Amino acid sequence: MNRAPVIAGLGITEMGKVYGRSAPEFAADAVRLAVTDAGLEPHQVDGLLTNTGITGDVGLSLQRDLGLRHLRLLSEVQAYGSSAGAMVQYAAMAVSSGMADVVACVFADAPLKDKSTGGGAAYAGAGGALTGWQGMAAASGIYSANTMYALAASRHMQTYGTTSEQLGHIAVAQRAWAARNPLAQMRTPITLEDHQSSRWIAEPFHLLDCCLVSNGGVAVIVTSADRAADLAQPAVHIRGWGQAHPGYVMGKDSEFGLVSGAALSGPTALKMAGITIADIDVAELYDCYTYTALISLEDYGFCAKGEGGPFVASGVLGPEGSLAVNTGGGQLSSYYMWGMTPLSEAVIQARGQGGDRQARRNDMVLVSGNGGVLDHHSTLILSPHAR
Amino acid sequence: MPVGTVLRDAATAEFFDGTARGELLIRRCDECRGPAAPQARTCPHCGSPLLSWTPAAGTGQVVSWSVVHAKGAPPIVVAIVELDEEPWIQVQLTDALPEEVRGGMRVRVAFERPEGGEAIPVFRPAN
Repeated sequence: MNRAPVIAGLGITEMGKVYGRSAPEFAADAVRLAVTDAGLEPHQVDGLLTNTGITGDVGLSLQRDLGLRHLRLLSEVQAYGSSAGAMVQYAAMAVSSGMADVVACVFADAPLKDKSTGGGAAYAGAGGALTGWQGMAAASGIYSANTMYALAASRHMQTYGTTSEQLGHIAVAQRAWAARNPLAQMRTPITLEDHQSSRWIAEPFHLLDCCLVSNGGVAVIVTSADRAADLAQPAVHIRGWGQAHPGYVMGKDSEFGLVSGAALSGPTALKMAGITIADIDVAELYDCYTYTALISLEDYGFCAKGEGGPFVASGVLGPEGSLAVNTGGGQLSSYYMWGMTPLSEAVIQARGQGGDRQARRNDMVLVSGNGGVLDHHSTLILSPHAR
Repeated sequence: MPVGTVLRDAATAEFFDGTARGELLIRRCDECRGPAAPQARTCPHCGSPLLSWTPAAGTGQVVSWSVVHAKGAPPIVVAIVELDEEPWIQVQLTDALPEEVRGGMRVRVAFERPEGGEAIPVFRPAN
C-alpha cells in the first residue's frame, strides 16, 4: 500500500472580473471542477480544507454547500498567502497517515465588485473609524499591503543596491510567459519602459510591480499514489514540504525586508525531497510584488543573498531564459488567487500540460507561498515522478 | 501633510496619554531592562511579559521609506524609523522632500493633533 501523497485533481473557475458570484460559490465550483478533473465523484471526497480570502466567508459551511457527508477531515486554514501550500501539507499528512483518502483543498475570493453597481476592490483599504496600533499606522499613511511591502523593498534596495529597473525585469519576463497562458488576465507584452513609466503606487513600486486582483476559486485534490494510479490525470507527487514564520522583531538588527521565510522553509522542503536547489527545474514563486519574487529567489539560493537584482536582470527569466520562473505569468499577470496561483501553475507544469508555456524540464517543481508582510511562508516540492 | 484621525483602545490608552502631553512612549522590560516597541507584549530580548512604559528620547534614523501616491491626494512620505533606543516605529515623515529622504537620515519626533482624534507621532529631519 503506497500512501505517498499526490495531487490528483485541479479545478480553476472562471477568473478575474467575474461578477455576480460569491466566494463560497466560487469555492464550491472549484472543488467540483477539481473532483471531476481527477476522475472522482464528490461523494468520494472524505476531507476538506478551506482557505478564505479577504471576503472572509469561505469556511466550514462549504461542506453543506457541496453536500459532502461523513467527512473524516474538515478545517479552515489561515496563514494568508502561504495557506495553499499549508493546506496541501496538512492534506498530505492526513493521506499518508491514513486519516483520510481524498482531501480537497480550496481557496476562493471575490474582492472585486461591479463598479456599475457602486462597488470597487475590497483591497482598497481603510474605511470607518481607525483605532489602536493598526489605526495609528493607517492614520499615518501606512494603510495597505502595498505600503508595507514598499517599505520592505526599499530596505532591500538600500542594503543591496537593488533597483526599480531590476524589479522591472521580473514584470516583463512574467508578462512574456503570460502571453502564452490562455488562463492569464494580462497577456499583452510589456517592456521595461512600460514598467518604468507605469504610475507610482507606493515608491519604489510602480503599478506594474503589483499583482492583479481577481475573483475566482482554485481547488486541488490530494490523495495517495495508490489511489491516484487509476484516476484520470497523471499524478503529481508531493515530494517535500516546509513552512516558516519568521516573527520579525521590529527593531534594531531585524531582518525585515532582507530575508524572507523561504530561507527556512526552502531547505526543510528540499531536505525532505532529498534534493538541492540545483535540482529544481521550475520555480512557481509567490509574487504579490516583483520584489517578493526577487527575495524568494535569493532565499531559496537560486542566487546569493543581495544579488537578486543583477540575477533577474541577467536574462535568466522569461520563456527564453535558463530558469523557468512563474511560467503562467504569476500573480503579476495571470490571476491573483493567493498561494493557489503558484500551486495551480506548478500542477500544470508537473503534469506536462503547459502547452505553449510548458517548461523544457519539469522533473522537480518548487512552489512558494508567502503571507502577511513576509510573515508566513510555505514551500512544496512537486514532481511527476514517485520517490 | 495632515495625518488621519485615530481613536484609542485599551492597548493604546497609555501611549496616547503620552502623545497628548508630547511624549513618545516605548516599552522597557521590567526584568532585563531591554527596550521594546510600543506595541510589544513580550520582551524581544528575554521573553518576559512584564513591560513598562518609558519615554523615548524621540530621536532616531530612517531605516526604510516609501512615497505613497493615492489618487486625488498629494504624495506622502512614510517610513520605518529606528529609535535611538532600538525599537522601530512606523510613521509619517513631514517637512521632508521625498527626493531628500535617505536611509540613515537623522529624524526627530513631533506630534500632529488632528481634530477629533489622538495626537499622532510624526518625524521630521533632525537639523
